[in-house]
Amino acid sequence: MNKNFLEVKNVDFSAGGKIKVKNVSFSIKKEGDIICLLGPSGVGKTTILRTIAGLEKINNGTIELNGKTLSSKKINIEPEDRNISLAFQENSLFPHYSVKKNILLGAERNKEKKNQSIRFEKLVDLLNISKILNKYPHQISAGEAQRASLARSLISLPDLLLLDEPLSNVDQSFKEEIQVSLKKILKKLKITTIIVTHDSYEAFYLGSKCGIIINQELKQFDDPYNVYHLPNSIEVVNFLNRGILIPAEVTGENSLENDDLGTIEGNFIKHYPKGSNVKLLIQPEDLEHDDKSNLKLEVVDRKFRGTNFIYTLRTPSNTLIPVFVHSHHIHQHEVDEKFGIKRPIHIDHIVCF
Amino acid sequence: MVIYCGCLTFFMIIGGYNMKFNIWYISSFFISIIVLIPIITVSFSFFESTSNYYEILKDTFLIEYIFNSLILLISVLIFTFILGAGAAYLVSFYEFPGSNFFKWALILSFAVPPYIYAYSLTAFFENYGTAFTLLKTLFGDANYNKSIPKFDGMFGAILSISFSLYAYVYILTRASFLYQSQNLIDLGKNLGFSKFESLYKIILPAARPAIVAGLSLVAMETLAEFGAVDFFSINTLTTGIYNSWIYFDDLAFANRISFFLLLFIFTMFILENLSRRKAKYHFNTREGLKQKEKAKLLGYNSFFAFIFCFFLFFLSFLFPLSQMFYWTVKFPENLFDLDKLNLVLNTLYLVVMSSLVLIIFSLISNYGNRVSGNRSLNILSTLSISGYAIPGVILAIAFITFIAWFDNSIIKTLGFNSIKKIFIGSVLGLVLVYFVRFYSLAFNGIKSGYEKINISVDESAYLLGYSKKKTFMNIHIPFLRNSLLFIIILISLEIIRELPITLILRPFNFETFATTAYISASEDLLEAAAAPSLFLILIASFFIMITSKYILRETHE
Repeated sequence: MNKNFLEVKNVDFSAGGKIKVKNVSFSIKKEGDIICLLGPSGVGKTTILRTIAGLEKINNGTIELNGKTLSSKKINIEPEDRNISLAFQENSLFPHYSVKKNILLGAERNKEKKNQSIRFEKLVDLLNISKILNKYPHQISAGEAQRASLARSLISLPDLLLLDEPLSNVDQSFKEEIQVSLKKILKKLKITTIIVTHDSYEAFYLGSKCGIIINQELKQFDDPYNVYHLPNSIEVVNFLNRGILIPAEVTGENSLENDDLGTIEGNFIKHYPKGSNVKLLIQPEDLEHDDKSNLKLEVVDRKFRGTNFIYTLRTPSNTLIPVFVHSHHIHQHEVDEKFGIKRPIHIDHIVCF
Repeated sequence: MVIYCGCLTFFMIIGGYNMKFNIWYISSFFISIIVLIPIITVSFSFFESTSNYYEILKDTFLIEYIFNSLILLISVLIFTFILGAGAAYLVSFYEFPGSNFFKWALILSFAVPPYIYAYSLTAFFENYGTAFTLLKTLFGDANYNKSIPKFDGMFGAILSISFSLYAYVYILTRASFLYQSQNLIDLGKNLGFSKFESLYKIILPAARPAIVAGLSLVAMETLAEFGAVDFFSINTLTTGIYNSWIYFDDLAFANRISFFLLLFIFTMFILENLSRRKAKYHFNTREGLKQKEKAKLLGYNSFFAFIFCFFLFFLSFLFPLSQMFYWTVKFPENLFDLDKLNLVLNTLYLVVMSSLVLIIFSLISNYGNRVSGNRSLNILSTLSISGYAIPGVILAIAFITFIAWFDNSIIKTLGFNSIKKIFIGSVLGLVLVYFVRFYSLAFNGIKSGYEKINISVDESAYLLGYSKKKTFMNIHIPFLRNSLLFIIILISLEIIRELPITLILRPFNFETFATTAYISASEDLLEAAAAPSLFLILIASFFIMITSKYILRETHE
């Protein structure tokens, strides 16, 4: 049986004597994979990274990297002996060294891996930090410090790279560009990475797997597509905050009935017996607009999101449902107007709880 | 004392519980304990029996000691508040002739210890003193002695201490004014407040924590003051401690008064700490820190501001400096008789030894606290920095008491030779007590340097493969280099000015500028005190000048 590259087994992650996340198990199959951990603020995502880095100890479970136990109740390899790099969310650059010197300190580690290393200039270019190389940490912005810190971590070629909200302070205009560069570098250097973020789009783009941590538990660890479309619990749905749950009755192999929307068809992810009362997940992209439809709902709000509008519609039973409409749609609907929903309603994968 | 040792062990076990005992933890623990020895010794000595002196004194002078201490304290607080806060307000908010010069020149008063100010005051105003000579030169012979006011006794002591210490209030208040948000002041203008209304409705209330912190420091120093009050023969608790030991040979009673004084001082200490904590809550936004536009004073207002600052600078610094200079020139034989080289070497020796010990142990202790992250060790360290609040007289006597107990109860019981001579009347003993006295200076200085290094910087270093030792040597030390230099200079400044500890614990025939000046003055040879005092002021001024940038900056960082 092939061993996983990183194996976290039944670990209670704690900080300051308090358990933050309980009984966590997940793995990274092969070297070079990127996974993301998502969750609300303060849930313990950073604690997980700090523990894997060796900055916090564990009393339960084991953490193994490449077949070697790093942490367990009895074993705790010191952080300096793990060859794991953690890029902190806040500025952790050495304050008395220039940005350039800070980054080059990272290059002093793992010199034997020269053949797979990335050139300093290239890295600086990709992360767009060439203008700040001779500045000191107190002279640069938080976003620049984050990118410099990221560069130092990348150039050190660790066995495992841990990134704590790596782009949280980076300007929105830069963010996507850097996300692309980061993914490219990580893939090129084959650096196994765990990224902690609260930005689900960032996680879905960068990670091949995403873990959702809510209420002290790792609720779901799956492909980004599945996490989004096939959430395994109401908590995950609420955290992703992209849909609502409405009451419905299962009427057949591929259909449900809702008092307001009528018949809804699609493929059930999980089988429910006919006649079951369930909560059906409706996501904004599940319903389509159709002016000619006789299913009319009242517009209570309209948000412009660039590529699309999100209409919030009120059903006769007073439920609020979000619906996407392309922003180039021929006309817009004002608040209090009626808004038509295409019938029959077909949802690709029906998620019920 | 047995209980004391038991307490230590208990504290150590509690402190080390739930963590592995590492060398950093143990070192920090023991350093803190050493610094705490005097406080514990004084507390325990409180219960020991004393001679009949206590019975006599209890009914006679003790009330006078307490009364005088209170009068001195309250008067000095009022004076230093007016001088310190007033000067800080003028130089922080207004532009007038010399305002940039006064900004730093007003801290030069630190170079003149209260006892040297007291000598200057007496030398100038005494019968046939400098004032008399001045009037005689200007207006010819007359009996000026009657019309020249006499600044001696309690009033002389109040003036000497106030002019020497107002800079504490000045520095902290000014720092607080600098931190005050421009928005807050703009808001005052918006509400139609006059300058005076802005001052008492906005500026002073916002700076209150800093003012209280400055006044608490003044209070502690005033209660600890020995040289000036002794010179003016004012009976305070501090001189009472010294007298009960020197003249009545009653160490236990000296400790008993010390205990009372300590309670008093700890109230100030807690007040100061609480104020300091609150002082951090000024607006600290980028907008708040933007350079405040200083109002340009014109006409009468400008003249008044200049006169206030000039007189303050003149009276607190130029006056004692020129008085000591005048006498040194007038009686040059005292200058020639002064063993200058020896005094400089002695001072240098004490400065180097003490700085080394203080820096090394404060670094270890700070680093120990940082890496262990142990809460009880942190509390212990906070307690141990209280040394600066304890008067030098108490520290010296507590040290002698502790060594005497340790020698009698432990060393002799174990059959070893007495260690008293090693510690009492030796440079080693002196350095140890300086260590306790100035530990907070070094500890806090390094701590504030460390506070600027985020803990994630250490963790980043570990994750780059740095060991704890390499992190300490390659990351911390280079970063703290400037802070360390600053601390060394501050320690030097304190040691040069220090009097009671040096006086009590110095080896035979080992003098500093401070002790030489004191001895001459106490023998009524004020002229002979002038030359060492002048040297002391000049050296201290030099140190203040080279650190003034730091002093004025560090206090608001």
